[in-house]
Amino acid sequence: MSSVAEKVKKIIVDKLGVDESEVTPEASFTNDLGADSLDTVELIMEFEKEFDISIPDEEAENIQTVGQAVSYVQKEVEN
Amino acid sequence: MSNNLLAGKRGIIFGALDDQSIAWKIAEKAVEQGAKITLTNAPVALRLGQIQELSKKLNAEIIPADATSIEDLENLFDKSIEILGGKLDFVLHSIGMSVNVRKNKPYTGLNYDWMQKTFDVSAISFHKVMQVAMDKKAINEWGSIVALSYIAAQRTFPDYSEMAESKALLESFARSFGYHWAKENNVRVNTISQSPTITKAGQGIKGFMDFFNYADKMSPLGNASSDACADYCISLFSDLTRMVTMQNLYHDGGFSSMGMNPAILEL
Repeated sequence: MSSVAEKVKKIIVDKLGVDESEVTPEASFTNDLGADSLDTVELIMEFEKEFDISIPDEEAENIQTVGQAVSYVQKEVEN
Repeated sequence: MSNNLLAGKRGIIFGALDDQSIAWKIAEKAVEQGAKITLTNAPVALRLGQIQELSKKLNAEIIPADATSIEDLENLFDKSIEILGGKLDFVLHSIGMSVNVRKNKPYTGLNYDWMQKTFDVSAISFHKVMQVAMDKKAINEWGSIVALSYIAAQRTFPDYSEMAESKALLESFARSFGYHWAKENNVRVNTISQSPTITKAGQGIKGFMDFFNYADKMSPLGNASSDACADYCISLFSDLTRMVTMQNLYHDGGFSSMGMNPAILEL
């Protein structure tokens, strides 16, 4: 697993207080990991801080699963 | 309707998230009554809500501040005084958050790190706001500080969980700090204990709508709306209530004095 994916996963585990085994690529933040609207905004802001990127609100709306978060961050970090 | 009750006054409004927020209505009415204000909230809340819209509408600047950070609060008061052109006359504290409630933890199985965060965000922040403002001598004589509370501070409402203790702490801070600030320069500190209100925070509480309807039936005047709460708050910011301090003031349509209301039987 790439280090971006590991870091994203760690942020999710810390922020949502979920078990690492639950954080699969298909897992939805709200439906599977118990995130509320505040959690999802906090996650986005944590990704921005950790990777020094900026995620516009309209892009953030499309980041609903662990896999989507990893691929978005990966793409931004590579640019 | 404007009576210019706050003409020439300046203030800071904490906690306007969206147009359901009580703080949103208070901000609107404060400006309508002639005040100049700044708006503030935690960065994450600024992003979650629609405060930009309110800022534009009221021509009120937004100064982001984490209310648990002394540094952020110092910056908030310095900037507000600079932008508004002088010392302040009122502050509204309308913020609260419980991770234990958000994560549906039962009251007898709370996470204590989260509880600490709840108290810090929902109650200790009120002391911090006041301490920073007093240190900076940021509030004019007869200024008015108001925080929003709930009757779970006095009575048991099981689903309100640890927010009950948060509100008890908040109200106690208002009494204790109110003494010191009265002695310092006649600044008043009160809490408004408001009816359950449909807001983002309220809706986070389990079974909120059932409870909302229950309280509405129990209160002879019905639940007080956020609009009515805003009107009451404006009166507390105004010079008409100068001798009111260190109080927890019920704004609840009579709920807090009721024992039994026959209307409940019809539910």
